[in-house]
Amino acid sequence: MAFCVAVIGKDNAPMYLTTADMEQELDLQYHVHAALDVVEEKCLIGKGAPESKELYLGLLYSTENHKIYGFVTNSRVKFIVVIDSSNVALRENEVRAIFRNLHILYTDAVCNPFYIPGESLTSKKFDRAVQKLMSGNA
Amino acid sequence: MQIKPIITYSGSCPLFRSLESQILNAIPLDTCEWRRTFQRPTKHVRLEAQTQQFNVAPLEKYKQGDWSILEHPILHIFVTECNDIDTYKATIREEIDAWLKVLNSYGISDWMILLVETLDMRKTKNFMPRTTVLDKIRLDFGSKNDDRCISVLNPAKFEQKSTESFRCLVQRIRFLMLTSYNRNIVKYEEMIRGKREKRNHEGWDYRQYFFMQEDLALIFEKLELPTEALIQYDELDAMFSQFITLTGFNEKQQWLGHFKRPLSAFHGICLTRLDRFEMREKIREEGVSLLEFRNYLFERQAYLLLTSNDIPEIAKRLLNFLFSTLREVEFIKLECQEGALCCWEFVCALEVLQLCEQAMEPNEVTCFQHCAPIWNLAKDKLYELGKLCGLLPGCTPTSEQLHIVVQLSSGIGDAPPDQPQQFLQATPHLRDRSPNRKPKKSAAQQLKEALGSNQAFQKLYLELAELAISTYKHVERLRSARLVGLDLGNFYCALNEPHKAVGFFTDLLRELKAENWHMLSSQTLLELANCYRKMGDSLAYTKTCSSISCCVELETLVRTFYFDEFLKSMKTLKTTLSAQPSSENANFCVLEDHFRILDIEVLNQKPIIQDDQVLVQLKLESLYPRSVVAETIKLCYELQATPLELAMENVSLTATPSAQKVKESTSRLKVELQLVYKQDNRLHSASVACDMPKSKQPVRRTSSTKRKLLPSVQGDFTNFVQAENIALQPGVNCIELKAKATRVGNWQFKQLCVSMSSLEFLSEQLPFAAPCFEISTKPASATLEFKTLIAGIVQPISLNVSGGSFIFPADAKITLRCSKNLRLRQAQDTHDDASFESLLQVPLLHFKSFEERNIPLEVLTDMPGRKVSKHHEHHIALSCPWARSELQIPIEFQPAMEATCRLHTCGTQKFLQVIMKGLDAHLLLHHAKVKCDVPGVQLLDLNPMPQQPIEIYKSLTVTYLYEIQVEPLKTEHELPIVKVHFVIKYATLTQPEVWRSYGCAFDLVDYRTLFKLQAQLEPNELCRLRTVCNMNLKISKVHENPYTDLMYEVLNDQNLWAVCGRSAGVVSMKDVDSHSISLDVMPLSTGFLPMPSIRLSKYTAGGKTKADAHSKVHPFPPGQVYNSTKSMQIHVIASVAENQ
Repeated sequence: MAFCVAVIGKDNAPMYLTTADMEQELDLQYHVHAALDVVEEKCLIGKGAPESKELYLGLLYSTENHKIYGFVTNSRVKFIVVIDSSNVALRENEVRAIFRNLHILYTDAVCNPFYIPGESLTSKKFDRAVQKLMSGNA
Repeated sequence: MQIKPIITYSGSCPLFRSLESQILNAIPLDTCEWRRTFQRPTKHVRLEAQTQQFNVAPLEKYKQGDWSILEHPILHIFVTECNDIDTYKATIREEIDAWLKVLNSYGISDWMILLVETLDMRKTKNFMPRTTVLDKIRLDFGSKNDDRCISVLNPAKFEQKSTESFRCLVQRIRFLMLTSYNRNIVKYEEMIRGKREKRNHEGWDYRQYFFMQEDLALIFEKLELPTEALIQYDELDAMFSQFITLTGFNEKQQWLGHFKRPLSAFHGICLTRLDRFEMREKIREEGVSLLEFRNYLFERQAYLLLTSNDIPEIAKRLLNFLFSTLREVEFIKLECQEGALCCWEFVCALEVLQLCEQAMEPNEVTCFQHCAPIWNLAKDKLYELGKLCGLLPGCTPTSEQLHIVVQLSSGIGDAPPDQPQQFLQATPHLRDRSPNRKPKKSAAQQLKEALGSNQAFQKLYLELAELAISTYKHVERLRSARLVGLDLGNFYCALNEPHKAVGFFTDLLRELKAENWHMLSSQTLLELANCYRKMGDSLAYTKTCSSISCCVELETLVRTFYFDEFLKSMKTLKTTLSAQPSSENANFCVLEDHFRILDIEVLNQKPIIQDDQVLVQLKLESLYPRSVVAETIKLCYELQATPLELAMENVSLTATPSAQKVKESTSRLKVELQLVYKQDNRLHSASVACDMPKSKQPVRRTSSTKRKLLPSVQGDFTNFVQAENIALQPGVNCIELKAKATRVGNWQFKQLCVSMSSLEFLSEQLPFAAPCFEISTKPASATLEFKTLIAGIVQPISLNVSGGSFIFPADAKITLRCSKNLRLRQAQDTHDDASFESLLQVPLLHFKSFEERNIPLEVLTDMPGRKVSKHHEHHIALSCPWARSELQIPIEFQPAMEATCRLHTCGTQKFLQVIMKGLDAHLLLHHAKVKCDVPGVQLLDLNPMPQQPIEIYKSLTVTYLYEIQVEPLKTEHELPIVKVHFVIKYATLTQPEVWRSYGCAFDLVDYRTLFKLQAQLEPNELCRLRTVCNMNLKISKVHENPYTDLMYEVLNDQNLWAVCGRSAGVVSMKDVDSHSISLDVMPLSTGFLPMPSIRLSKYTAGGKTKADAHSKVHPFPPGQVYNSTKSMQIHVIASVAENQ
């Protein structure tokens, strides 16, 4: 369902990145990195109205094969999900659900007292759950 | 295609035709307010119209529900010029009635009856009929809607007067048309909905539905409602997509077959068509390919957006349009030539971009935000085509590829005939381009040219890439811009122009490194290494290889390969580097890419003494896959700012500088004291504030220049610790760095520099708060500490040596040299006085810097045999290893005791009394002895032989008595002075066994008795109070002497005795041996009174010489006059008279 899931720290450094297809990994990483531009833009626009704190940023941009969605938490951690754009059956709501679940997973992972905030996420449990989420049966 | 609302006319058709042109021309002249249903906003609309003769056919369709709002007549007008009521009643009325019935039968209520007045009724006012035809018509038909019946003066006949009535008519027509639209649109929309519901029914045709809804859209467009028109198109668009993607291509949707024609042509969209509805006709008549249909739909949408002046939206929609169309093509499995879709995408993209570029000001960022990815897409598509057609750098198209080019070129289609921007002129605010700007070639033409030759292709590709980058940069999407830069860099590499590519790669690398995208940055490094190798820039190549070999993300094989390259290249560097005029600092590398500083620890004990070795342990993790040898590793340190300055910086204006020193650890919160004062300087409030640094924006760009690829600054390496020729193993290395501490101060480590060959790896910033150390210096000193010192006995004294920062040699010693009679030794238990020396060397064994050592010493000085108690002054000279000159320390002693002597006389017998007076010390005395070396003089010890030593202490005196016997043969003249030595042994109470001698020399002078005095009171021995007694004074010469004139004085106590008469007198002893003097004295008190004492003095009479005008009296020394009656007491009894 999702090609790539990335968790990007508040300083824009990747904390976690997984791709469904290893061959595409490099390409996807570049795309995820470039998507930060749009996240930046959207966050700047949202700056005017802080009350309407919508964490879900929606579609950041799309390419022929990919649709890239973004989500930013209150602690400025960004989630980027790359979705196969040929999957037309995927509704926006489902993307939202992916992010919601990802947010929960992330929160669980960083609640680990042994996790140092800002470090990359190496939790196997988190990884398993994200893989499951990516394949669409979370 | 003309879209004009249709108005039908019936009745007097020729009459209407005569008016027709006038009416039709007048309708668009003015706007009319359109009150819309469902509270939609009112709008002023400018209408157009066309006329038809009344015809039942469209109404038939209307009734059947198979009508198009576009073709449906919107208003029906019945025209008559009947002025006569009778004719009206006879014929017209029925005609109208029949007309209305027909209309009613079709459910149409949009009608109007127009009465054209050709006769001037007003002129014949006199015989004006009671009711006019108009009244009658209104009465008959317009009972509810009399506004639908209107009369107008025939403008052909009453040119001046008709204006007003004609204006009314046109206004009414406009109004009624809009009213009709209100009704018809609602009805039409209902019909569309109904039709849509049936979309899954057998035989339903999308195309029919499409035209139906498009008609509505066209009407909206006509009615100047582009947004609502757009909604219709959007609905159609979405519906079409849904059909294709969701329901798929199955039997039910037979109509899809019409779109399933092969894509022989793949013209792009064209936003500047002359006939915008060319395709509509084609769709209706011949059927079109999916691509053409999609193009048409997008063109329409774009046009409507342009009308509503929303060009950015066109750009925004483009990508989605392209991608979804591609997906649709894929879904319905359309066959098309390879590259065809790329061409199509490319042309579409360029078309939109040209529009945007022409219409948009550069500051309209929203548009360019959408344009940037389009540029990128165009670039990518061109690349794909180039790949397909063998146009990439280094390729030459094969004949097959040439064939493809030909096929594609034909499919792209020709640009629509050149037209002077008719389409774009619709928007008033197109940018004025400078006239010398070349008119852009059409997208299709550009593509064809690019496909034509390698050069043109490269030119276009580079142009597009640069445009994509600059547009991305313009909208501040730097990351995306760098990503395009990557493609461009690769292209340049393929062009064999690596020097051009390097810039793009380094930009990208900087961006990625700044945000710690290690995997991507290591990939970029690989590209860079490739470039540098091609360029032959061995320095940069070496550096890049080094960086690559330290990328943990890469595979070991790759890393080791580049590591070998690095070593190989570094060897060649030495020779090549000097030849190259390389820019300054080119040999600097970022240390953090290759090493990780884990820990820095100062090994020395604190504080470090100046000129000592500073030892620093550095824990450095090497990221190289194998071991490397660093020629030098230097760690520089700089003087630390004083804590006070730092504290001042952190104090806000309201706060008073807190005494607490703020340490510069970054993790600490800036907590401040804030004091707010009132106007009269009284404290208003005190608070503690924590000033958090403003939280950064969510994804604020960490300025790309923040992290540099090259450390530009080399720190101040004047002070550094270093190690040389260190082999650094992969992983953690512990390295000991050394330096001589030269300057005093508080130092902090700043930068690490690892040098390998000609490369210098410089750290940007130490990853943790660098440890501080202090180099200090302090003068060494030696002092003597003592309390009141007593001469003659062993006294403790302490030598205090404070090492300071002096570094002591192992055999350091302090030499103490004493003044005379002073001796020293180190404190010890022995009582042997021989161990005291006047020159003492105190060894300072293992004396460390800053050590403080107290060395106990003992001093001993002789008690000099002086009679007077006075401080004995001595001094000790210290010569220390750190000082060249001697240090004189004055030192004073107080005597332990003092001895005095007195000479006593008894007649001619002489006695010597020695008085020992105890002072500060508590001593034991023993073995007192006198010695006289003068022959003929003997001293007879009269003291009892003591068994025990005598204790003496402060304020206690001990007396020894000796009789002096001078042999008579020895005359006094021979011995004017007799020297007597008094020697006594003493010991302290603490060390009673150690006896020291105390000697004292006395000089005896005038020890011979010269005169003897005798006094006698008469009556003898018994006196009465206040009775005058006779005192006889007898002075007799005992030995011959030169003193002839003597003066006697009676020195009496005024309370005891009163002398009657002279109490003093001068006698001459010349030639006489004795003299008697009688005096009268009277006792004044009863009891045993001492005899009045008599003083005898030498008398020198004055006046004999000029110098001695006065007489002089000299007392005798005590030994020369013996008063035999001294201390005799007289018993005085009360007088008789008083008794009585």
